[in-house]
Amino acid sequence: MRIFSLLSLFLLTGCNLRVLNPKSDTADKITNLIYLSFGLMMLVFVVVMILFVHFLKKYKETPERLNEIPGDGKESKRLEVTWTVLPILLLAVLAVPTVKATYDMTSQVSGDGGEAKAEDAITIDVVGRQYNWEFTYENGKKSVNELVLPVNQKADFKLTSEDVIHSFWVPKLSGKIDVLPGEETRLSFTPREAGVYQGKCAEFCGAEHTQMRFETKVVSQAEFQQWLKNGVEEEGE
Amino acid sequence: MNVPFVGQVPSDIVVSWIASALIGLFVLWWLTKYNKWPVIWEYIRTTHHRKIGTMYILVAIIFFIRGGMDALFIRTQLAVPENDFWVFQSQKYNEVFTTHGTVMIFFVAMPLLIGLMNVAVPLQIGANDLAFPYLNAVSFWLFVAGGFIFNMAFFFNAAPNAGWTAYAPLSTDTFTTGPNNNYYIFGLQVSGLGTILTAINMIVTIFRLRAPGMKLNHMPLFPWATLLTSFLILIAFPVLTIALLLLTFDRYYGTSFFIGEMGDPVYWQHLFWIFGHPEVYILILPAFGIFSDIISTFSRKKVYGYTSMVIAIAIIGLLGFMVWAHHMFTVGLGPLANSVFAITTMLIAVPTGIKIFNWLFTMRNGVVRIRTPMLFALGFIPTFVIGGVTGVMLAVAAADYQYHDSYFVVAHFHYTMIGGTILGAFAGIYYWYPKMTGKVLDEKLGRWHFWLFLIGFHLTFMPQHFAGLNGMPRRVYTYSWEDGIFLLNFISTVGAFLMGASMLFVAWNLYKTHRLTDPVGGDPWDGRTLEWSVGSPSPEHPFEPVNQVDRLDAFWHAKVKGEEVPKAEDARPSPIAVKTLQPVILSIILVFMSIGFIYHWISLQVLGGAAVIAYLIIRSITDERKEVYEKEEEG
Repeated sequence: MRIFSLLSLFLLTGCNLRVLNPKSDTADKITNLIYLSFGLMMLVFVVVMILFVHFLKKYKETPERLNEIPGDGKESKRLEVTWTVLPILLLAVLAVPTVKATYDMTSQVSGDGGEAKAEDAITIDVVGRQYNWEFTYENGKKSVNELVLPVNQKADFKLTSEDVIHSFWVPKLSGKIDVLPGEETRLSFTPREAGVYQGKCAEFCGAEHTQMRFETKVVSQAEFQQWLKNGVEEEGE
Repeated sequence: MNVPFVGQVPSDIVVSWIASALIGLFVLWWLTKYNKWPVIWEYIRTTHHRKIGTMYILVAIIFFIRGGMDALFIRTQLAVPENDFWVFQSQKYNEVFTTHGTVMIFFVAMPLLIGLMNVAVPLQIGANDLAFPYLNAVSFWLFVAGGFIFNMAFFFNAAPNAGWTAYAPLSTDTFTTGPNNNYYIFGLQVSGLGTILTAINMIVTIFRLRAPGMKLNHMPLFPWATLLTSFLILIAFPVLTIALLLLTFDRYYGTSFFIGEMGDPVYWQHLFWIFGHPEVYILILPAFGIFSDIISTFSRKKVYGYTSMVIAIAIIGLLGFMVWAHHMFTVGLGPLANSVFAITTMLIAVPTGIKIFNWLFTMRNGVVRIRTPMLFALGFIPTFVIGGVTGVMLAVAAADYQYHDSYFVVAHFHYTMIGGTILGAFAGIYYWYPKMTGKVLDEKLGRWHFWLFLIGFHLTFMPQHFAGLNGMPRRVYTYSWEDGIFLLNFISTVGAFLMGASMLFVAWNLYKTHRLTDPVGGDPWDGRTLEWSVGSPSPEHPFEPVNQVDRLDAFWHAKVKGEEVPKAEDARPSPIAVKTLQPVILSIILVFMSIGFIYHWISLQVLGGAAVIAYLIIRSITDERKEVYEKEEEG
């Protein structure tokens, strides 16, 4: 079993798992946390497995011990304290960066709206509905299922839903934020590499939840300005 | 496959109509041919804990086949990208995963554990039956009625389709019209009532009917887990009842608790998870109890750190009520709430870790005999540790923004629910099978079942962690080649079929055991606790007179000394068994009343309500104990 899980790890480190291959500041932070927690937890897993295999080998019933009654033996307070205190310490090591990151990120994810808007950030209104995404830019440009972002510029999203709950997710760029009817949630990140990324609805929202996808194109500043203008002109015509 | 519809009805439903009719006819023929009707007549009127426990497990296995078939449909549809398997796309797929989740949690995992509690707990504490045998029958038949209502939906082409979590506003009548989610509501209401009554029954039994001299800290760990689980049920299930009731009002009577100006869909999530998170501990703690007893028996040693084991169960139960919002990290509750719930969630790892190490150290210096029940317990340890560590990873709130609602979560909870609850239920069934039937299941086939199931399990769910990390959301019916998750999903599908195949060995095992093996004595495993001091299958009134117990594992210590467990001087009245059809009739009434609600037939609702009230009145004025006590006084 252990061999199997390790094997699958080796098999997959070569693949580019989207979440472990982040392309924005927010996603970077999350990925680091994932690695940290995974490392700590593998430590626990390995310790348990070593004890498990060792005890099983050593104390397995053998023909000579068929009728042995082992006796209950003494229990060691020290051991019990050890496996209570050590996990607490381990969790503390994990809890500190967790809380820090949660605060850092959540103020970006769902700020109260009162915080000053970053100078150079662009704001995009997102409306989720069964089963598409509509993005509205500051100049009034609208686009459906296609999110275009300039590289290296912070993007602030204000999200709301017209019907049921959806969840906005671009695995390579950020974690999820739920999109609720009658409420506004927030999310922000700064993409740092041009490219095309998958976006998905992550909260089950009805018959065609599966099809509620969008494409995120991160492009250069010039291309972005061009795209932004095009749209409005079209609308004006 | 190009015949998805026959007239207005999807072809899978037509196929299951035909299949059910054929199977039904076969069962009727078989029952008649082998003259089994008297047995059926006996069992439907029984209030005996072992018989009710056995029926719980049997019915759960029927639902397990249903939920398992749903799982195989899901895995077949997801085997390759852009697949079009039979009818299982769009809403049909949603119906399948909704049914799979709901059935597996409420109509498989719960009744398997409650069934084992029924069989084992009274015997383990030296009681002759549960405190309220009649109520126990009512609980069982309410569970059957709930399961029946819920499963009926599919046959009328109206299976629930809002996920087992039924998130509002999707589950309100604005977005899911039709009777589908009404079935969900009433199925769960009726069976939930049964579960609450069972919890009361278990609590009273454990407090009042322990053998004389048996203090609470002389009880084996399975009764302990049952006791604490029952308290969790007593607190958590009424929250579900309330949530479902509010949803009923939203769907039926135009209120807006979960939608609109005044309402908020997030209220549903709070209510559901205040029930839902304790629910997963309700499912895991009894399994912990089973493993504790089995590991101790098959290591021929007292369980290590008994007191800390009990305290750990209690702390897990308590913390279980303080973590519900970790299901809601992405709702935007704010950094404070997310941090607090992240930390309480991580804390649960500490008592769970204590339990894992205590199990390991129970084996140390012992003589570890590997028989099928122990094999399942051994398979549980590494599997559950994987589920536990991914649980801690999920508790990291910020990181959960990525894991949330992805296949990573799906993998995690299957590692805990199958790796914990289902392996625990299998272990318990193999372990207590002699107490239910008087026979021990075949060892070799048991091993086949174990290894195929375990390997299939890891093949199915290990890759799902990576599919999730590669951006595969939950509850999608297809994916594209570009998603890069084909291989992971394909392995997963192969594993699922392996798990399915392993269950065939169970069927073969049952057949072989009953055809070819002889009954065993009362103590086939060299057990430690009181259930092994009575015959197999356990007789009605096994402890007459009751035992005097003054320590943990009393039976074992008496056995080592070559003595019998001492008998108590002061006899205590046993619960009174009756033969009654009333619980069955009540559950039939409730089925009809629920149908009245599901299809908005008001006259049937009124009629059903009146019948239930009449039943309650009749029940209130009968007292089966009176006659027995009068006889006793005369004697």
